[in-house]
Amino acid sequence: MGQVNRFTSLFNPAFSFILDTVGDYTDNQRTRDGFDARLRVFELAANAWVDPNAWAYFIGAAEEESVNIEEAAIHYLGFGGHRTLRAGRFFVDFGKQMQLHVHELRTLERPLVLRAYLGDESKGDGLQWDDWTSIGDSTALRWSIGVFSSLLPEEEEDFDPETTAAQELASTKHGADFNYTARLTGFTDVGSSGTLQLGASARAIPRYAFLYSPAANPDQTDDDLSNVVYGLDLTYGWVGDTGEQRWTTGVEALANTGDNGANIDQTTQTLNPSFDDDVLGYVAWTDYQFNRYHSVGAQFSALELPDGNKSDESEVEVFYSRQLSEYLRMRLVVSDFESDANDDALRVAVQLTAILGTHGHGLNW
Amino acid sequence: MKTMLKLLFLSLVACVSETAIAAAATSPAEKLKVVTTIPDLADITNQIGGDRVDVMSICKGRENAHAVSVKPSHLVAMSKCDMFVEVGLSLELAFVPGLLESCRNEKIQPGKPAFVNCSLGWEAIEVPASLSRQAGDVHPHGNPHMNLDPRAGRHIAGRVFEALVAIDSASKVAYQKRYDDYLAKLTEAEKRWSEIGTKWKGEKIIEYHQEYRYFAHSRGIDVIGTVETKPGVPPTPNHIAHVIDLIKRERVKVIVTAIWSNNATVRRIAEESGAIVLEIPNMCGGLPGTETWIGMMDVLHKRFAGAFGTTVPSK
Repeated sequence: MGQVNRFTSLFNPAFSFILDTVGDYTDNQRTRDGFDARLRVFELAANAWVDPNAWAYFIGAAEEESVNIEEAAIHYLGFGGHRTLRAGRFFVDFGKQMQLHVHELRTLERPLVLRAYLGDESKGDGLQWDDWTSIGDSTALRWSIGVFSSLLPEEEEDFDPETTAAQELASTKHGADFNYTARLTGFTDVGSSGTLQLGASARAIPRYAFLYSPAANPDQTDDDLSNVVYGLDLTYGWVGDTGEQRWTTGVEALANTGDNGANIDQTTQTLNPSFDDDVLGYVAWTDYQFNRYHSVGAQFSALELPDGNKSDESEVEVFYSRQLSEYLRMRLVVSDFESDANDDALRVAVQLTAILGTHGHGLNW
Repeated sequence: MKTMLKLLFLSLVACVSETAIAAAATSPAEKLKVVTTIPDLADITNQIGGDRVDVMSICKGRENAHAVSVKPSHLVAMSKCDMFVEVGLSLELAFVPGLLESCRNEKIQPGKPAFVNCSLGWEAIEVPASLSRQAGDVHPHGNPHMNLDPRAGRHIAGRVFEALVAIDSASKVAYQKRYDDYLAKLTEAEKRWSEIGTKWKGEKIIEYHQEYRYFAHSRGIDVIGTVETKPGVPPTPNHIAHVIDLIKRERVKVIVTAIWSNNATVRRIAEESGAIVLEIPNMCGGLPGTETWIGMMDVLHKRFAGAFGTTVPSK
């Protein structure tokens, strides 16, 4: 009768299910207006030890009409110390909010700047090496390096299907054919009630191409492009003496550098050369938990779009979360999106999320 | 390719140097570093280990043990400690598995002598016949709040003593003496508590969370309801009305709450029902005089005696 943990269950592996549902009303300036209700994510996960030195997990997700393998990876711990080799498909180690699945986020959507610069989700097939060490008795320093086949974001539904950012995925690769991530982060206690975390992250795509293939003018490419996104994050957390009241606030700044966009001349149906202006963005958030059941918060994100004009976009979200129990959460979100290049939108959403069975994605470094 | 080889080389150097530093740091003269989940276990470990141990508790005395926030210092302490002590019965499910996984300290992994699960050999109450979340946040191995049973000090002390001797046999004589001394103190205290609690049989209470069942059970107190709808599930308006009605109907004098759960709902029920709110510790250090486990039990008995209007014999 030892400590029950995420790896022990009457079954092996331990399974869990997540149901994340959303109902919303969107007031959009020009296009989509009105109510909607949908199952946003159905997630199935399994965790198990493979042997004394390795554990593996799988997370599959059905979103709208598609089914994806979100993550499927092995964690090998046999190197000793605090080192981990991770292999398979998994979310990249970038900042505080890219590692999380959408149902785990502090509010309904991933921050706008992360969606714009890294994608709705940033996962890849590859390897990651990470390690941590301590400095004194109350500080932990962790670093990771990842190598992936491709980290280009998945295309959005309304993206022009004839235009894609792509990499040639050859069966054998050299250095520039891979994509890379790196993160260095330090955690420390601040007094008896606080913690402070400072992190730096980077995602590099050394070589990719834009492909454009309209019927009238097919097979246009703009290749030998490269892109690096850098991020800096700072998070402060405070916990009251009973553990019931908690306050967290943080900021994450990103720089999207290199070839970060291209546009199309619709009249001539030609792909213009890509632009390489560096663009900047950030997200700031704060939330307060009154007790285990009630919390409120706000998140603001602003960025320069990688559209050649550095158009501004911003999104503010205000949210209230009610834990109906440990495994059932209801959330009310009001968000306001403003853009120089796209439609402004006001959205009111209710999210209901249920966790069935054991569930855990590990520590959020 | 050269860059990749350099990276591989640097990683290997890091592995070798870290192992060498760890080996050099081990010395038999050093105190045993012990991490415990709750302060009750820290106190009992200190009582038996004396100057041979350096003990740290993750949870603080006023916290809800089900919802502890992990801090960097906890991770660092877990990675360096020689012994880890938990209550078990999945009380610490919210934070222990993640810490054990991330700290990578082989010595304190489950199954090793330095991993001490104090609930081993303990007869848990309220072990669910079937597991369903319909029953709330139930613990599969039974009610985990065994540290609030007046008999638990003796049981925990036994588990800690066995573990200390197993991992530091050279100090067995010192541990044995301190263990015997502590058992003698417990014998005296248990007699005192028994005298105080003898008049409480049949008294009825309401509690916020199912934390004081072991205590109530040991004294014949009848827990007739909880403010929570089910364990870990907050009360609904309908349930609050039911609890108020129950208190009035059954003439319950006392609503028992821990520090973390003493909230507006408890106060509202007390005001509308006429019962009194009894705020008591659920771990060492939560209130003045509760720095030791025996001191906490003394405070618990005195506060219950005050609430029930019974006398406390002078020492």
